[in-house]
Formats: sequence, C-alpha cells, structure tokens
Amino acid sequence: MSTAMNFGTKSFKPRAPDKGSFPLDHFGECKAFKETFMKCLRDNHFDNSLCRLQSKDYLECRMDNQLMAKEPLAKLGYKDLEDPPPSQADGDPKP
Amino acid sequence: MLLPLLRRPQPRVLLTRWLLPPRLHAPSRGAKTRGRKSESRQPDWGSRNRTALTYIAAAGVGMVGLSYASVPLYRLYCQASGLGGAPVAGHDAEQVETMTPVKERVIRISFNADTHASLQWNFRPQQTEIYVVPGETALAFYRAKNPTNKPIIGISTYNVVPFDAGQYFNKIQCFCFEEQRLNPHEEVDMPVFFYIDPEFDEDPRMARVDTITLSYTFFEAKEGQKLPLPGYSYN
Repeated sequence: MSTAMNFGTKSFKPRAPDKGSFPLDHFGECKAFKETFMKCLRDNHFDNSLCRLQSKDYLECRMDNQLMAKEPLAKLGYKDLEDPPPSQADGDPKP
Repeated sequence: MLLPLLRRPQPRVLLTRWLLPPRLHAPSRGAKTRGRKSESRQPDWGSRNRTALTYIAAAGVGMVGLSYASVPLYRLYCQASGLGGAPVAGHDAEQVETMTPVKERVIRISFNADTHASLQWNFRPQQTEIYVVPGETALAFYRAKNPTNKPIIGISTYNVVPFDAGQYFNKIQCFCFEEQRLNPHEEVDMPVFFYIDPEFDEDPRMARVDTITLSYTFFEAKEGQKLPLPGYSYN
C-alpha cells in the first residue's frame, strides 16, 4: 500500500468485491472440484481460458452447497458455457 | 423649507456657486438635491453597509451549508457517474454479463500472500501465476491453515500492482474485508473470482503492462470487529 504523502502520486484504492465475500468452505464440500480445477491449470500451463469449465463446476458446487448466492451463470461471465435452453434446438453457443 | 435640508454648505457647493453662472446653478433646485444627497448620504451609507453585511453573512451561511451538503451530493453524483474511482453500484453486474473477452491480450496475474507478524496462520496462494485475458472471469485459490490450538479470526485486504492497473481489476467475489474464522488445525481453500475489465486493452497507459500482481495480506481481527468497506458501496 502506498503511504507516501506525495501529492499527486497515484495510490492504490482497494475496492470491495462486487458480490461480497465467499463464505469459507469449512467442510471441504467443494474440494474435489477445486482439485480438478487446479489439476487442469497445472496441465495447461496455468491458462485460465482452457479451464473455464472446471471453474464453472466449482462455482456451481458452491451454489449447490449454500456457499455462494445462486446466480445465473451468465451473470458470472459463463454465458458461452451455458447449455442452450431446450426450446433452442439448433442454437449453437459461440466457441 | 430649503434651509433645514441644507445643514452645512459643503465647500464644493460654495465654490460652484461662485464659479458657475447663476442660471446654471439654480440655488433652489441644486441646493435641494444636494441637500437631500448630503442628508441621505449618511443613512444611505448605513443601509448600504447593512445590505452588504447581509449579503456577506448569507454567503458565509451558504458556504457552511454547502460543506455539509457536499457529502450526500458527492455520493449522488459521483456514485452515479463513477468519477473519482469510487465503485459504481450496479454497473459492474451488467458488464460481467455482456463483456466479451479480448483474446489477443494475455495477461499474467501473479499471486502473493502475506500475513501480519502476529497472525499465526499459514497463508499462501495455490498457484503462483495464472494467464487471463481481459473480459474473461477467472478463479484463483489461496489456502490458509491454522496450526494453533485455538480459533483465530483473520481479516484481509488486498493490493494490486501496478496501481494504474488496479482500477481495471474487478473482483466479483473474494474473501477480503470480512472476518474469516479458522478453527484449530483447520485448513480451508479461499477462492478469488475476478476479471480484468475489457477496457484495459484500450488504455494506452496499459499497453506495456503484461503482469499484474495481486497481493493479499491477512491481519488478526478482534472478536466482533467489523472493518468499514472501502468506498461508498455498502452491501
């Protein structure tokens, strides 16, 4: 944190997270999903774009176990990984 | 009738009386107006002083009132428009839904974990770095372990380096600014869910920024203490 009293120097301003804080996973309910995600990251040289499916699974596990507020996945940036609704027969999500 | 108005003939009046031709200086008319002016000059000054003082007092009260009103006014204006770096309530939620990833720009996020000297947790990131692109949400994990025999409550804050890039670093959900309690010998995974704003790619000052470092620091919290959240957004 920048504590120098220089007028005009940029200092970092921490911001609160948009959706607040994650409750702690004391019982390790989603540990398996986390391990899958970490393994995927290690296999893919820590490239997040290739492991989005695993991170989506982890967040879904959190939502199922009351460790995260339930939200539609599109709001979390997973619009392209969502299954198309059944009414849309030939709709193809963008790659 | 005219004499009471003319209290004391001013020297200037006397001089003009002698210098000007008599027809230009009509004694009755000039004396009357000049007399009235000299007579009303004193109350005129008084009333002018009073009005000036009233205006100044009103301006002073107005300034004091404005300084009290500036706090809600700032909130109203700057929170809506996002100026001054304050987080804009509600704006980011829609952006996450509609943003498209900028696949050409790969940024390396490196992670750092610190604890305050008095906090006896083992706190470390589970990955040293992760490669993300702006506009794409990413997940990262930290791990914290309480090796002691008593529960410890920690509270954390974070820092993003370089400072300029910090404004583009948006956290959707994390574990900071709220008390986290770890029971004895407990180990938990702490996720951070974040994204880099797609406008990062368009900022010329960020053109040479390839690495962003996210650093969390845990401090020990006293029971029941609640830190105020930074900025004006209250959940």
